[in-house]
Amino acid sequence: MKAYLTVFRMRNRMELQYRGAVIGGIICQMFFGLILIALYRALYAGNPQAIPIEHVSCYVWMQQAFFRMLVATDPDLLDKIRSGNISYDLCRPVDMYWFYYARIMAQKLMGSLMRGIPMLVFAAILPKGWGVTTPTTFCGLITGLVGLFLGLVCMCALENITMAFTMRTLDPRGMQSLMNLLMVTMSGNLLPLTLFPDSWQKVITMLPYAQLLDGPIRLYTGEYVPADAPRILLVQGIWAVALIITGYAMWNANRKRIIVQGG
Amino acid sequence: MNTIHLYLRSMAMLLKSHLQYPTSFFMQTLAQLVMEGGELMVVILVVDRFENLGRWAGGNLYFFFGLMSVSFYLTELFGRGITGDFPSMVRTGKLDTLLLRPRGILTQVFCSGMDPRRITCIGVGVAALVMGSIKSGVEWSFLKALALCESIVMSCLLILGLFMIEGILCIHSVKSVELVNAITYGGRSACQYPIDVFPRPLRILFSVVAPFAMTMHVPAAYILGKPLYGWPLWTVFVTPLSGVVVFFIMTILFNKGIKFYRSTGS
Repeated sequence: MKAYLTVFRMRNRMELQYRGAVIGGIICQMFFGLILIALYRALYAGNPQAIPIEHVSCYVWMQQAFFRMLVATDPDLLDKIRSGNISYDLCRPVDMYWFYYARIMAQKLMGSLMRGIPMLVFAAILPKGWGVTTPTTFCGLITGLVGLFLGLVCMCALENITMAFTMRTLDPRGMQSLMNLLMVTMSGNLLPLTLFPDSWQKVITMLPYAQLLDGPIRLYTGEYVPADAPRILLVQGIWAVALIITGYAMWNANRKRIIVQGG
Repeated sequence: MNTIHLYLRSMAMLLKSHLQYPTSFFMQTLAQLVMEGGELMVVILVVDRFENLGRWAGGNLYFFFGLMSVSFYLTELFGRGITGDFPSMVRTGKLDTLLLRPRGILTQVFCSGMDPRRITCIGVGVAALVMGSIKSGVEWSFLKALALCESIVMSCLLILGLFMIEGILCIHSVKSVELVNAITYGGRSACQYPIDVFPRPLRILFSVVAPFAMTMHVPAAYILGKPLYGWPLWTVFVTPLSGVVVFFIMTILFNKGIKFYRSTGS
């Protein structure tokens, strides 16, 4: 356990090294957030919906703030898979799955906090209807944060499953872009899940992708009332366990048939 | 003439090299199709829920979306050297080799990259254009077809020009400059939808600084029979020319900028 915590801490420090480089990215994403909100406001102007525009704006900002959590991947691991250097990892006295799990978790957590916090501060000072809303209840805030943590656990497990596929195909591009598309569409990044047709939402909110950010955000904005919270968190928990077990089994199967690519 | 011949030869060669690994190429092209299909799905879902956007009906929105995808991905297909590869050329010092050859730098940069995987994205764009024009009941005439062609060509030049800003900045700073994405990719996201629905600052940005509205929305609005801001017919053929103006200015700046190029020494 101690070893994994150390990996986690080391990786956190790595992420914090490139503070300068992220500023451009942050400004760029704020701009994207503003464009999206301007668009939704224009759409809302003629056709008011059941979900208030304030919640949609808040949803967009949260998605932008934690975007990094969705898409961050471990470039070193990809390199190792391609070059065959992954064989060195077999010599480490730690479990490979959890070793990379700790790394990717640090990367996703630090990466998104570093970008998310300035973005949310910026969004908080915007006029009403453009920025983030305060949570309706204190309970919403707490369950939202717990949900976000469970979402992070699910996300890292999903990332490791993608990596397990990459170990088989060796070429990350096809598989990754497919997984990324599923990720950004089904998690509500391209279009908030709250704006999907109501009949679709019943199915989509049960899929693992909705557990990542959609569930936590809805708990925060009050779309899910506190009475629903235990159910939502339970679904998240079940998915987290299921994804970790699947990923772990895949990594184990891969370890038995690992092919080292040449010199 | 020589330059164009050279460009065509390079494109043919690059295409061949991309097709050397057919399975990988096929997979990636498919992935592009799914990705752009996802973007189209978002527009369809938006239309499904909201039905219209200001004075624009659902069918009109497909048309705007299609125009943007066709222009943007045509640019990425044929101008990959500028839109994608240039920053890494500067960083790795590969640009040095281009300086030695007896051809213009810009020509060589254009000749050095293409991205045929984008063909499926263009396909999705064309489908959206057709769907949009049928749903909006467009009666095609020679003038309208001409306006559409001019719009696409000028938009491509505009997008190339905007990507060249990144190139110029990157000659100075060596790093690729993410901030420029705000007007290139940001412009794509915003101008998939007609300009007049946005608040004033965004309207000014995308009409004057990065004139997507001039090259795309003025002609498209005319084709759909709902002229933008009620402007007269001649504007439909004049405003898109801002695309070639931006391209021309950026070419001059690029050639000036390249004089400051210092190799990374690797």
